[in-house]
Amino acid sequence: MFRLNLKIALRNLWKYKGYTFINIAGLSIGLAACLLIFIFLRYQLSFDKGYENEDRIYRIVSSWTYPSEGEFYSKGVPRPMAAAIRNDFPQVQQVAAVQESGGIIKVPATAGSPEIKEASSVYYVEPQFFDILKINWLEGKPHQALSMPNTVTLSKKTADKYFGRWQNAVGRNIRFANRTDLKVTGVFEDFPDNSSFPFNVVISYLTYKDESLHNWQSVSSSSECYVLLKKGTDASALKAPMLKLIDKYYEKGSVGKEHHYFQPLSDIHYSEKFGNFTNKVMPESQIIGLIVIGAFLLLTACINFINLATAQAVSRSKEVGIRKVMGSMRKQLIWQFLSETALITIIALLLASALTELALPGMRNLFSGDISFSLFGHPVIFIFMILLVLAVSFLAGFYPAMIVSGFSPALAIKNKISASSTGALGLRRALVVLQFAITSVLIVGTLVVINQMSFMRSKSLGFDTKAIALVNVPSDSLSQLKFNTLKEKMLHINGVKGVSFCNAAPSSNNNNTSSFKYNSTKDENFQLSVKSTDEDYINTFSLKLIAGRTLSKTDTVRETIVNETLLKKLNITNPNEILGKFIETQGRKMPVVGVIKDFNNFSLHDKIEPTALFSFKPVYNLMAVKMEPGQLLPAMKAIESQWNNTFPDYVYSSGFMDDQIASFYETERVMSVLFKVFAGVVIFISFIGLFGLISFIATQRTKEIAIRKVLGASTLELVKMLNSSFLWMVLIANLIAWPVSYIFVSKWLEGFEYRAPLSIWPFMVAMLLSIGITLITVSLRSYKAANTNPIDALKYE
Amino acid sequence: MIELKNIEKYYANKGVKSYILRHVTASIKQGEFVSIMGPSGAGKSTLLNILGMLEEPTYGQYEFMGEDITSLNERKRIELYRNHIGFVFQAYHLIDEMTVAENIEAPLLYKKVSGAERKSRVADVLDRFNMVAKKDLFPNQLSGGQQQLVGIARALVAQPSVILADEPTGNLQSAQALQIMDLFKKLNQEEGITIIQVTHSEVNAGYGSRILHLLDGVIKEDVTVEQTV
Repeated sequence: MFRLNLKIALRNLWKYKGYTFINIAGLSIGLAACLLIFIFLRYQLSFDKGYENEDRIYRIVSSWTYPSEGEFYSKGVPRPMAAAIRNDFPQVQQVAAVQESGGIIKVPATAGSPEIKEASSVYYVEPQFFDILKINWLEGKPHQALSMPNTVTLSKKTADKYFGRWQNAVGRNIRFANRTDLKVTGVFEDFPDNSSFPFNVVISYLTYKDESLHNWQSVSSSSECYVLLKKGTDASALKAPMLKLIDKYYEKGSVGKEHHYFQPLSDIHYSEKFGNFTNKVMPESQIIGLIVIGAFLLLTACINFINLATAQAVSRSKEVGIRKVMGSMRKQLIWQFLSETALITIIALLLASALTELALPGMRNLFSGDISFSLFGHPVIFIFMILLVLAVSFLAGFYPAMIVSGFSPALAIKNKISASSTGALGLRRALVVLQFAITSVLIVGTLVVINQMSFMRSKSLGFDTKAIALVNVPSDSLSQLKFNTLKEKMLHINGVKGVSFCNAAPSSNNNNTSSFKYNSTKDENFQLSVKSTDEDYINTFSLKLIAGRTLSKTDTVRETIVNETLLKKLNITNPNEILGKFIETQGRKMPVVGVIKDFNNFSLHDKIEPTALFSFKPVYNLMAVKMEPGQLLPAMKAIESQWNNTFPDYVYSSGFMDDQIASFYETERVMSVLFKVFAGVVIFISFIGLFGLISFIATQRTKEIAIRKVLGASTLELVKMLNSSFLWMVLIANLIAWPVSYIFVSKWLEGFEYRAPLSIWPFMVAMLLSIGITLITVSLRSYKAANTNPIDALKYE
Repeated sequence: MIELKNIEKYYANKGVKSYILRHVTASIKQGEFVSIMGPSGAGKSTLLNILGMLEEPTYGQYEFMGEDITSLNERKRIELYRNHIGFVFQAYHLIDEMTVAENIEAPLLYKKVSGAERKSRVADVLDRFNMVAKKDLFPNQLSGGQQQLVGIARALVAQPSVILADEPTGNLQSAQALQIMDLFKKLNQEEGITIIQVTHSEVNAGYGSRILHLLDGVIKEDVTVEQTV
C-alpha cells in the first residue's frame, strides 16, 4: 500500500510539474533560510559554553553616570580591582586580572626555520584565571608557568607556528615589543573559535608594567577582571559589598559616578554595551529578530503550500472518491496526503541543503564567523532538519489533507467537486494580505536602510576623507626620535601632499574623553574629547580654522585648538572670545589658540563632541598621509618601503580613512545585506503564494469565466476582473504595512544622530513595487484562465 | 446570413487526424429556424460552436452577415459576436453567484450599454418572461425550466439576430421542454430571430423549419420540416 501511494504521489508530482516546481521552489527557499538561520544561531549560542563551574564565572565591568549625559559603560576596570576583590570579597573563590596589549613578537631564527616577526595581540594574565576558566594544558601548569615575570605561554597553534612543533616550544625564548625577552613555560589547548577569549600569547601578569597599575582613577577597556564565585553565592547579593568597595577606594567628588557590575560569563558574547576581547558581539535583539524572521519565513512557506495544495485538490477529488468507494477510511486518506506533503518537504529540504551549502560562504563572510553545515559535527542540525520536516509536513499538509479527504464520494465520482468546496477563500485571502503587508514592510525597510547608507556616504564629515592613508607607527621613545626624518622622507614621495602624526583620525572609534576645567578650578559637567596631533593635522585633513591659528611645532602640550561645539556648550558666541583662555585637562593647563569648524568625532550615530586638539608626541601612534588621488598606488608602495627602512624591527600596517569610516557602519552594512536578501526571499515567496491563490481562484471561477466569455467578455476584460480583487488586497496590505513600517523605520533612524529625512517615497515605491509584482504574477495566470476556450469548460456539464 | 463553405475540423494527435467535421457546406438565411440532428459524436456541437465563433474551423470559409470570420481579428470578431449572437446551453450555465436580474444584465455590461438602458431592458425582458417576482433569486433557487428561461432571457436581452441553442431542453422535463420550444417558435416567427438548435428530439426538431442531419462529421440530409411531416 505504501509503495503504491508513493508511486501515485510521484506520478501526481510529475503530472502537475508546474505546481510541483513552484511548491518545491518556495518551500526549499523558505527551508534554506531557516536552516541558515538555525546554523548561525547554533553557532552564536555556543559561545563560551562547556566550562566547569560556568554558572559561577563572572566578569567585573564598569559604568559611570554623568549628570548631563547619562551612563557610560566599559568592560574594563581600574587595574587595582583584582587585588582589591581578592582582599575584600570573601564570597569570591578566585579572582584574576587580564590585561590586553599588543606588539611585535620576534621568534629568533633556528636551524631550519627563519626568524618570525609579526604583530600580535598579547594578554597579561594572572595564573588564577585558569582556575576560573579551566582549559586543558598540554605542557606546564598555569600556576608554575605564569607566576614569574618574563614568562609566556602559548596556544598549541601559535606554538606550532613559532617553533614548528608545539613540543619544541617550552624553554625557548621570544622577544616582545623589541625590548622584553620572554621564556616559554607552557602550552595550552587552543581556545575554540566560538569563544570570547582569543588568547594565543599569554604573558604572566607580573611582566606587565604600567604607570596606572595602582591608579583607581584611570580605566582602560583593555583591563578586565574575572571572578569565580563561591558555591551558593548569589551575584545580586554582591551589590552592597561592591558599593562599600567603591566607597573605600575611589576618590570622592568626581563628576562621573562610578559603579561596577558582575556580568555572567554567559552574557559576555551577547552584550553590546560592554563588548569583549574578540570584538564579536551578538546582541540578544538580533538573535530574537533572526528567530522571528525564520519563523515567519517558515510560516509563509507553509501558507503557500496550503494555498497551492487546496487549489490542486479538485484534481484529486475523483481519486479520493474512488478510494472511498473501494473502502478507504478517511484516516487512511489523511495519512496518504500527509505523507505526500512529507515527501515534497523532504525533496525541498534536500534542495534547501544544497542552497544552504551555496549560501554559507556568503553568510560566513557577512558575519565573519566560522559556521559550517556539518551534520556529523553538530548532530543537533540533523535533529533540527527532522523536526523541520515533521513541522512543515504537518502545518502545510494537515489542512489540505482534511479538506481533500472530506470529499463526499458520490459527488467526487461524478466530478461534482468544485473548487468552492475546498475551504474558505477568506482565510487564504487574509493570509496573502498578511504576506504582502510583511513584504511591504521589508521593502520599505530595505529602501530606508539603503537611503541612510548613501546619506552617510555622501554626508560631509567636516573634513577631507579622500586619498588619506592611516599608517600605524610604533610609539616607543626610540622610534619617536625617527618621526621627523620619516616625515621629511614621506613629503619627498611623489604624490604625497601632507603628513601628520597623531593618536587618532578626526573620525575614529578610538577617542579619549576626560573631564576638564575651563578658566576655573571646577570641572565642567560634561566631558571633553581630546586628540593629540602635530601641527600639520589641520592641513592634512583639510579642517577649517574659523578663528585664531593652527598649533605651532612642538612635541609637548603647550596650546590647544577647540571646536565650535565646545564653544556652544560653554555658551560662547564669538569664537575670538575664547582665544587666550585656559583649558585644563589630564593635569595639563594650556591656552586656546584657535577654533575649528565642527567635524564628526565618530560615526554619524553620535553627536559631535566638544573637542580639543593639542600636541603630545609620546602618544602618537598614527601617521596620516594625504595623497594625490591619481598617484595613490605608487605613493602607497613608496610609503611602505620608506616605513620599512625606518622601522626595520616592526611590521607595516596601514588603512585608508574611507575604509575606516566604512567600518563604523559594519552592523548597518550587514543589516542592509540581510534586509535585501530577506526582502528578496519574502517577495519570491509572496509571489508564489499569490500564484497559488490566483490559480485557486481561476479554477474556482473557470465556469464563470467561460460563461462571461460566451456572453461577450473579451480576454482583457476578464483579466481586469480577476486582477482587481488582488489589487485591493495589495492596497489593504500596504495600508496595514505603512504605519508598522513607519514605526520600525523611525525607531531605527533614531539610532543615528545624523539621518536622511524620511520621505514618502519608500512607502510609495513599496506600494508600486508590490502592485507591479501582483499585476505580473496574477496576469500570468489570469490571462491563461481568460484565454482558454470557454467550450472546454462548458462542454462536460 | 450564414455561409459555410467546405468547413473541416479535426484534431491531430500523434500524427493521426481525427475528423469531427468534413466538407460541411451550408447556407442559413435570416429568419430560419434550423435544427441540427444526429447521433452522439456526429459533430453537432462542434458545428454549433463554429457557428457561434467559439471554435475555429481547421479549414474552410465561414461568412457571417457578409464578413469572413476566419480572417477577422479578435476584436472585430468579439464585436460581431456581442451584437448578433446569443447562446443557450443544455446546462443553462448561469453564474451561480449572481441573481436572476444580474445574470440577465451581464451581457449588456460587455456591450457597454448605459446603466439606465440596461435597467429598462432587463425589466422589459423580466416582464416578458413573467419573472419579475423571481428577479432577486439565485439560480439554485429555481427549477430547471425556470433556469433555462433565464438562460434564454439572457441570450435575448442583447437583442441578437441569431440564437444558438445546444440541446436547450436536454435537462428538462417534457412539459417544460414544450414551453421552451414554444417560446423559440414564437421568437422566430414574431421577432424574426434566426434560431439554430442542436437536438436529439424529433419533436423539438418539428418546431423548426429545416433540419440538418449530421453523421460522422458530414451533412447527410438537409430537409425542410414540411417534407418530413
